[in-house]
Amino acid sequence: MTARFWTACLLLLAPLGCGDSQPPSLPGYVERPSGRVPMGMEVGGEAATPVDTIKFTFAVIPKGTTHEFWKSVHAGAENAAKELGDVKILWKGPLLENDRDGQISVVQDFVTKKVDGIILAPLDKQALVDAVKDAQAANIPVLIFDSALQDESLIVSYVATDNFKGGQLAAKRLSESLDGKGNVIVLRYNAGSESTEQREEGFLDELKARHPQIKVISSNEYAGTTPESSLDKATQVLTKHKDEVTGIFAVCEPNAAGVLKALEETGLVGKVKFVAFDPNKELIQGMADRNVNGIVLQDPVTMGYESVKRMAAHLRGEKVEKRIGTGEYVATPDNMTTPEMDKLLKPQQFE
Amino acid sequence: MSEKPLTSDSQRGPLFADPRFWKRALSMLRPFLALAAVVLLFAVADQRFSEKPAFFTADNFTNVVSQTAIVAVAALGMTVIIIAGGIDLSAGTAIALAATVLAWCLKEDVATKLVAGDSVASATARLKSANDELGRVNKELKALGEKSPGNSVIAEKLLDLGNATHEVERREQRLASVKMVSQSWSKWTPTLAVLAALGCGCLCGFVNGALISVLRVVPFIVTLGTMQLFLGLAKQIASNSTVRPDRASQVPDWFSSLLSIRPETLWLKLPAGVWLTLLLAGLLAAGLHWTVFSRYVFALGSNEATARLCGINVRWNKIAVYTLSGLFVGIAGLYQFSRLTVGNPTSGTGLELKVISAVVIGGASLSGGRGSVLGTLLGALIMSVIGNGCTMLGLENPVQDMILGVIIVAAVTLDQFRQKAVGGRQ
Repeated sequence: MTARFWTACLLLLAPLGCGDSQPPSLPGYVERPSGRVPMGMEVGGEAATPVDTIKFTFAVIPKGTTHEFWKSVHAGAENAAKELGDVKILWKGPLLENDRDGQISVVQDFVTKKVDGIILAPLDKQALVDAVKDAQAANIPVLIFDSALQDESLIVSYVATDNFKGGQLAAKRLSESLDGKGNVIVLRYNAGSESTEQREEGFLDELKARHPQIKVISSNEYAGTTPESSLDKATQVLTKHKDEVTGIFAVCEPNAAGVLKALEETGLVGKVKFVAFDPNKELIQGMADRNVNGIVLQDPVTMGYESVKRMAAHLRGEKVEKRIGTGEYVATPDNMTTPEMDKLLKPQQFE
Repeated sequence: MSEKPLTSDSQRGPLFADPRFWKRALSMLRPFLALAAVVLLFAVADQRFSEKPAFFTADNFTNVVSQTAIVAVAALGMTVIIIAGGIDLSAGTAIALAATVLAWCLKEDVATKLVAGDSVASATARLKSANDELGRVNKELKALGEKSPGNSVIAEKLLDLGNATHEVERREQRLASVKMVSQSWSKWTPTLAVLAALGCGCLCGFVNGALISVLRVVPFIVTLGTMQLFLGLAKQIASNSTVRPDRASQVPDWFSSLLSIRPETLWLKLPAGVWLTLLLAGLLAAGLHWTVFSRYVFALGSNEATARLCGINVRWNKIAVYTLSGLFVGIAGLYQFSRLTVGNPTSGTGLELKVISAVVIGGASLSGGRGSVLGTLLGALIMSVIGNGCTMLGLENPVQDMILGVIIVAAVTLDQFRQKAVGGRQ
């Protein structure tokens, strides 16, 4: 039994890689003739930045790691690091999307690791406050991106899209495609998500203030966090209001992916005007086919880029503005082929 | 239970010559070995690859241990359930439910609400709306005065004005009395909130136990259902959003310092919540050794039919097992709230799998009859060490997921080897 036990122990340890006996098995590091270089330091196949010139290590903590949006933020952050030359990015999010506790743990881990700066997209405006305070107590500056933190006094800067304005732009675009009158549905995202709540409020606010002939027939349904849950919910809502609905707004990418599917399933595609928020491949195709009437766009690459640049500036003692907007845009079937829209519709992605 | 006294073996001559001693020692040390191996690997890798190694430091130890507390305390309860041959898939959402209930109680100032039937915040809000109404009526009256309409219209408006003024006075009095009550009773709100969270956990456990033993449906299915049920309940309480008690005025400091790693909140180098977890673990381990109830629990898990034939009241003992586990779920809810300081209904989703993994890595058998408190604690620790180590090394999420997966499968495989070698239950 003992022999078997040790065999099993070995099996257990094998995938972890045993120090130097299996050099390439440690992901996150890349083999170079000069030695092992942390990933992100090997840029475009050449060792652009030798390890000893690294002055600052920044932890960049997104809300999750599987959305395309975050991959673009990652790309932007790496662009800035490459440009600065002496900055290294550690990219790490919670294992599960929406796991607040997991994100707190990641922040605490980086505080213990004593990185030079933490760049964070908080999953919850209140829950992450204590973790940011921990960082502050350890003299690690924190920059917030994408979603706000309740206590702005703790942070270097807040780099984000104006989501309320994004929601207003969506309302404007939907109203435009409906010639100013109709019955619309807003499919909300998930309870307690700050950025999407802002979009929902912006959308409803704009309709109420400036588009009186557009009636909101449903605004209390939550689509959930995945395209699947969104497809189910959108199908139910669209079927329920089949006879009256003329427009629909989906507040984020997974949500919109589900709605587009649901429009196809219910045979309403093209008949019901559809405005989405954040692009993906299907939505862009849908817009080329004129089934999607507008996509509100953010600029995630700039978000990642600006965050890293501002953090570095702060550490060099320069003054950094408290609030930096990264812009919001509307792509329509008519302008989608222009170079600037094309760049935002298909943003650069990491790897 | 693996930690049994070895007296019967030691009477048979030299201890170390007995192969069974080694088997038992090995099985007891196994979780320690696994933990040591994981720690060693990360420590070595961190030394080699990081410019500023920080993995093997006292600070990081405190950090990892405090991050483990939520899963560890819930896993203690799950250990009892799994020893009794059950499973609880609803633990994760029940934790979030308890945390949401706690947050709600704090936000609504539940003590004042119970005594006065109203909270200061909502009484203030109502006074404000009465004042708004008064302002509106006044404005209308003014507008009317300029137009000089008939007397009857003015009289009607004056009546409205009287009503509105009266309403404002009534609301002011109400607010004053609620404030009085709040002054003497608000201090009990945190205590009540904690009791509510613990009670909520116990109730969740009781519901699971009752459904399982009364309906005679397998625990897997019952708790699969209650998992959704508790999620829904939590969302209902949170009005489909997040419950945010005010940090400064409604959340006492000891809540947020329960698992905080700030130096000034530590007590003997560790957060108070960690000490509490260790204390509970000690109590539970003692209970599993020396109480009659624990014999019933092991008997249930080993062979339910035999247990029934032996005259054990299967129904009530099952309910007791799930309710006891519910208490630990309630404590985990308290911990979760102390980390987040908000009540989020969805923050427990997926947590049950971490809890079950901790118990399984700790050497418990999913077919019941075996499991240990020490193993469970170490199992929980192994998982958070992996998570922490991956962050320290800059490893990415996919790698971390895979490592966790491999460890779980390896733990269960080892378990099978051992079962075959020893021949069933030890």
